[in-house]
Amino acid sequence: MTDHATWIKACAAGDKSALQALMTAEGGRMFGVAQRMLRRIDLAEDAVQDAFVLIWKRSHQFDPSRGSARGWVYTILRNRCLTMLRNEDRVQPIGPEAMESAINDQDLDTAFDRLDQTDDLRRCLERLDLQTRRAILSSYVLGHSHGEIAGRMAAPLGSVKSWVRRGLTKLRECLS
Amino acid sequence: MTDRSLDLLIDEVALGLADDADIARLDRMAQADPAIAARLDQARQRLLALDDTADALPLPEGFWTRLEARLDAEEATTPPAAPQPAQQNVVEVSSIRNAMHRWRATAVAGMAAALMLGVMLAWVSLSRPEPAVIAVLLNDAGEAIALVEGLPDNTTRITLLERQNVAADQVMQVWTKPEEDGPPVSLGLLSTGRSSTLTIDGLPTPRPQQLYEITFEPAGGSPTQLPTGPILGKGLAKEPVT
Repeated sequence: MTDHATWIKACAAGDKSALQALMTAEGGRMFGVAQRMLRRIDLAEDAVQDAFVLIWKRSHQFDPSRGSARGWVYTILRNRCLTMLRNEDRVQPIGPEAMESAINDQDLDTAFDRLDQTDDLRRCLERLDLQTRRAILSSYVLGHSHGEIAGRMAAPLGSVKSWVRRGLTKLRECLS
Repeated sequence: MTDRSLDLLIDEVALGLADDADIARLDRMAQADPAIAARLDQARQRLLALDDTADALPLPEGFWTRLEARLDAEEATTPPAAPQPAQQNVVEVSSIRNAMHRWRATAVAGMAAALMLGVMLAWVSLSRPEPAVIAVLLNDAGEAIALVEGLPDNTTRITLLERQNVAADQVMQVWTKPEEDGPPVSLGLLSTGRSSTLTIDGLPTPRPQQLYEITFEPAGGSPTQLPTGPILGKGLAKEPVT
């Protein structure tokens, strides 16, 4: 088992120091992921706090044979961030729309550039056209919905949905 | 569901584009079928590299203390999922205990407040006498501007439903007609400009169809003991159904 899996198992046994170890190892990155999606430090802290509480409470459900422990941790965090983005009114953009949009594009490019050159995901994303790649990246990296992607690209919702679907199919075929 | 549409559903859930219903649907399928669960995990694993492209940022100061306090609060309300192991001594016990005391104090204070509120509500509902009649006063535009509750002892509760801008040299005066054909009688002034309770002696118990109205009068009240100013609103009383 990886360190992460060991820690989660120890959490299931009630060991808080294991949760603290997981926080030390992964908390900073989780905070970065949450800030990228939620755009506000205070909300990002709430999301990471909530995620750790959920990790603690659900640790007994974690099954190392079913998937990676890190993946499990980030799924919990991402779902919490998405819920905050979709269901709660308190997430408001911080600045003017144009500025938001420029920051968003920059975040997407940075995310793509930081993928390892040898990473299959990078190689396969590179094969997509720019718009499809951006649409897929902005849903994962920024947590944007179909509607938000359509708004930002000034494209009809239906087209965005089909770009994304075609893109995902290509991506899956390329990766498998 | 075709395999192709299942693949798309899995990808959209992993990407974060699926709606709640789709997420729940896939969740149920994954619970029932380990192969689907494995495909979902695989799809998530493929995208995980993107999470690593986020900056690792220093957690805010006191993050662990706050998190620990929340875990303690969770434990206070729900029994632990598994027995506590012997490794407990790794954790600094005194900070947990302090946090426990804080949370317990908060919980006790909360319960006390709730109890107090309950007692007050019971007292209010027991001691608040039932009105004999209720009238909704409407302005010319037909908007409700005040609720009037006439009690058997001729105490009148007036709840304004709209804040009124009363000129400095004017006051709102409340009137009623105890007898249908008689003159209006003043119940009193709303001198603060707010909802209030007025008491008057010597009038019969209010009856259904009794007229109530509020007028604007010179400061100090109508000089003629009869309404002189513009009418803010008026209405006929009805007996509440109990």
